[in-house]
Amino acid sequence: MRSFDELSAAEIAAGVAAGDFSAEEVARASLDAIEAREPSIHAFLQVTEELALERARELDRARAAGEKLPPLAGVPLAVKDNMNLIGSRTTCGSRMLEDYESPYTATCVARMVEAGCLPVAKANMDEFAFGSSTETSYFGKTANPWDVERVPGGSSGGSAAAVAAGEVTLALGSDTGGSIRQPASFCGVVGLKPTYGAVSRYGVVAFGSSLDQVGPFGRRVEDVALAMNALVGPGRDPLDSTSQDCPVDFLEHLEDGVRGLRIGVVSELVEARGVSAEVKAVVYAAARALQDQGAELVEVALPHIEDSIAAYYVIGPCEAFSNLARFDGVRYGYQEPGCATLAEQSEKSRAKGFGAEAKRRQMLGAYLLSSGVYDRYYYKAQQARTLITRSYANAFEKADVLLLPSSPRTAFKFGEISDPTEMYASDLCTISSNIAGNGSISVPAGLGRETGLPVAVQLQGPAFKDRRLLTFARAVERAFEGECAVAPAFAGKGGELA
Amino acid sequence: MKTLSEVLRDWEAVIGLEVHTELTTLETKMFCGCRLSHEDDPNADVCPVCLGLPGALPVPNKEAIRSIVKAGLATDCEIQKRSMFYRKHYFYPDMAKNFQTTQGPVAFCMHGHLDLEIRGQGAAELPADAPEDRRASTPSSAMNAHGGTGALALDEDAAGEGLLTRTDDGYTVPIRILRIHMEEDAAKMTHLGGSEGRIGGAAESLIDYNRCGTPLIELVTEPDLRTPEEARLFMEKLRRVFLAIGISDCSLESGSMRCDGNVSLRRKGETTLGTKTELKNLNSFKSLHDGLEYEICRQAQVLEEGGVVLQETRHFEPARKRTVVMRVKETADDYRLFPDPDLAPFDLSDDFIESCRAELGELPDAKRDRFEATFNLKRADAEALAADPALASFFETAAGAAARGAVSVANVLLNVVLGQWRAAGEDAKSSSLTPAQVAGLADLVAEGAIVSAQAREVAAAMAETGESAEAIVDARGLRQETDDDALMAVVEQVLAACPDQAAQYRSGNTKVIGYLVGQCMRACNGTGNPKRFNELLRESLT
Repeated sequence: MRSFDELSAAEIAAGVAAGDFSAEEVARASLDAIEAREPSIHAFLQVTEELALERARELDRARAAGEKLPPLAGVPLAVKDNMNLIGSRTTCGSRMLEDYESPYTATCVARMVEAGCLPVAKANMDEFAFGSSTETSYFGKTANPWDVERVPGGSSGGSAAAVAAGEVTLALGSDTGGSIRQPASFCGVVGLKPTYGAVSRYGVVAFGSSLDQVGPFGRRVEDVALAMNALVGPGRDPLDSTSQDCPVDFLEHLEDGVRGLRIGVVSELVEARGVSAEVKAVVYAAARALQDQGAELVEVALPHIEDSIAAYYVIGPCEAFSNLARFDGVRYGYQEPGCATLAEQSEKSRAKGFGAEAKRRQMLGAYLLSSGVYDRYYYKAQQARTLITRSYANAFEKADVLLLPSSPRTAFKFGEISDPTEMYASDLCTISSNIAGNGSISVPAGLGRETGLPVAVQLQGPAFKDRRLLTFARAVERAFEGECAVAPAFAGKGGELA
Repeated sequence: MKTLSEVLRDWEAVIGLEVHTELTTLETKMFCGCRLSHEDDPNADVCPVCLGLPGALPVPNKEAIRSIVKAGLATDCEIQKRSMFYRKHYFYPDMAKNFQTTQGPVAFCMHGHLDLEIRGQGAAELPADAPEDRRASTPSSAMNAHGGTGALALDEDAAGEGLLTRTDDGYTVPIRILRIHMEEDAAKMTHLGGSEGRIGGAAESLIDYNRCGTPLIELVTEPDLRTPEEARLFMEKLRRVFLAIGISDCSLESGSMRCDGNVSLRRKGETTLGTKTELKNLNSFKSLHDGLEYEICRQAQVLEEGGVVLQETRHFEPARKRTVVMRVKETADDYRLFPDPDLAPFDLSDDFIESCRAELGELPDAKRDRFEATFNLKRADAEALAADPALASFFETAAGAAARGAVSVANVLLNVVLGQWRAAGEDAKSSSLTPAQVAGLADLVAEGAIVSAQAREVAAAMAETGESAEAIVDARGLRQETDDDALMAVVEQVLAACPDQAAQYRSGNTKVIGYLVGQCMRACNGTGNPKRFNELLRESLT
């Protein structure tokens, strides 16, 4: 007997294909682990047991019929609750969509299921992805498996925590300003934000349409590579006109190593105010480790990077205001009963359906887009965006990949940050690649020497060079092997496979 | 209230139009694959995209882009290779996302024009002293007063040359088109239980999203129109152009083509614009004319009584021929327009634009000029025949089959056949007459073998029996005597029998010729051509 949480996605798929265990057994192991661990974690808003078992049986029948199984056959998957999946609710962590069931499935979810994943659960998140701690969810907090007194990060906190606690093997998240990378870093798992346009956004409830990107969480870089193959393999999604073809095999160069490649250290971010000593130490340790594997270290500057947060908190709220306008209590979602007029119904439904942070961002966006104000903020933010994108382009002439922190610090305690602007500032390291659209990944790099909590480094690459990112991430992983697995307090709790 | 002509003696009316046209000839909606249909059950043609469900994303309909590019090319617009979609926000349940996807400052088509030829009665609406250069007195900076979407004017002299030019029976004038942009239509709402059919007093409001997301193009003119007749003719001509290029069924009745009018008055000679009102419910050519006429007269009365015109939206009531206030615009609406991040900017290729141009076919003006030159038709007749592509093609086929020239075919079509089609609810496409039959009939008229009164009878019989004109004329003994010697014998016989009338004619009472023609017709049992009798009588009496 061994716990299924020790297995990688590739090992599970291989085991199912070889008949070592059935997909249904894996599904049950995952469900057992969830039952045992979930009371302490609360990573999920809904466990979609029937959907997972149904998919598992389908795969088992296919195997029995002698069919070739897909590459992720039997791998338990958690899906962030802003992604539509027929047969489940899509709440976005909001009272507004408490009972909302989508009549269609998001492309990213459909592709993972098509590749063999078992959709086990819908993961908790900050309301409509507004937040960096998962504390703004209407349905309660999610605990960090490394210390249940602490936040898992956000907004994809449920997805990261579920993978870190070993409840599932893979999870999908969405990243608008760091919502995959920061929780991945807090929870000690790998989290990739692919280049904008690489993964379809169709069926993912939009926050900032020009910033949002879907990506996978896993405990190993290889698992993330397998998930990327599933997400981009079938080609661009005709239902998302911003999606692009990305015809690469993410496993192909995974083990190539970094010899002869240039790694650019972004000192201004490593040394930025607010970056803790243990985070700095880990970034430099990772740089040395990559150097030891043959990479060349170069110093890289990213002018205008400090404008990212300002640009982000203009563009994000503007797009959010527009995207969330449809939630008016008329067709679906929370509807205030007993109103006399349409205006009253919309006003009260929105007042009660949205939480404080969702209101704050929409009000900010409504203001920033209003006539007379637009030119001063939105237009300026777009100009800043152009400059930041150019900064990256210059940096990537000197370096193949950039190295920087994923987050200025390790996971903080619940309620520790109550000032929204302080919370916004914690996105400093991640936001710029949403602004520029290029891919970036957070890879665990050991535990902090002061807090003992997971610390990660972030690697950023040029647009549509996400495979190169994974090669570097694998090199970091190799250097810190053994230190990133299921959080110790939960490893092996429930979920045994024969 | 003064009449229009009285008002226009002292005032100049400045009119701009906003015309919405649904691209009804497309198969699917603007941003999703849903069927475009006017007949399906409510909410049958919907999907996550046009219902604005969470997570759904728009994908532009390439055929709709082709249609708008064709509309722009057909109206001499500059096709903008780089343009994009914007989101226009307003909270109302007919727009599932609470924003409409439309275009911003740069539309697919900018700065075109349509040239009007105004003849006869309609031309008289414009005072003789009206200025020839309309652009000088309505510079593009006037856009904000008259523009439909608060768009920016980019280029001031793009409309090409063209001043008002007087002709023998009227005038010609170019009307500038500011832009044609692409947008999506809203859902249809039905309010039950209220007195006014509005959401305010309704007990229930029903929403049918079948129409939501229908591709719509909006054309905005510069404020270059000066009379209700010009506005009506502009709309008629635009409709003909859009029909010719096949982008819509252009039905004002069903609302697939609809028009709002912006109108303001200013004292003659003024160059600044007065406060405009916006007119709605102008859903026929007559309503467009009459609504503007009423509104011009109403504004004149307000101003002459020392009042001020309020910037408001007014509803035309055709039955009572008046406009009433719908809503007063105290402040400009703030639609929070910004580029739609879900739709990448367009970069139209030359090849794409040229392939659209190749599909345009012959436009009504070119067809009119060709008909006029090739078939020697009167310009007005050529224009009438060129107006409807099916009619034009019917005419050309018939003209090709006729032995005695196209002019007679044009006359028979316009004076006889069109009336018959109208009465039977037919048109050139559904006609029960063939072009060959019409050609045969036209030849008989040209020969003088029958007169036009008989042509109606023959046309009706042809439609009924499917026989040729000749067969019907012979079977019914309608053929007129065309031999001059035989006719002259009748004339001499009649003059001999009516010496008094002959004397009256000679002494200057030429009206009496009608009586003499009648006598000739009677004498030959109606087989002679009255026109020829008339000529022969005159010759004999001088």
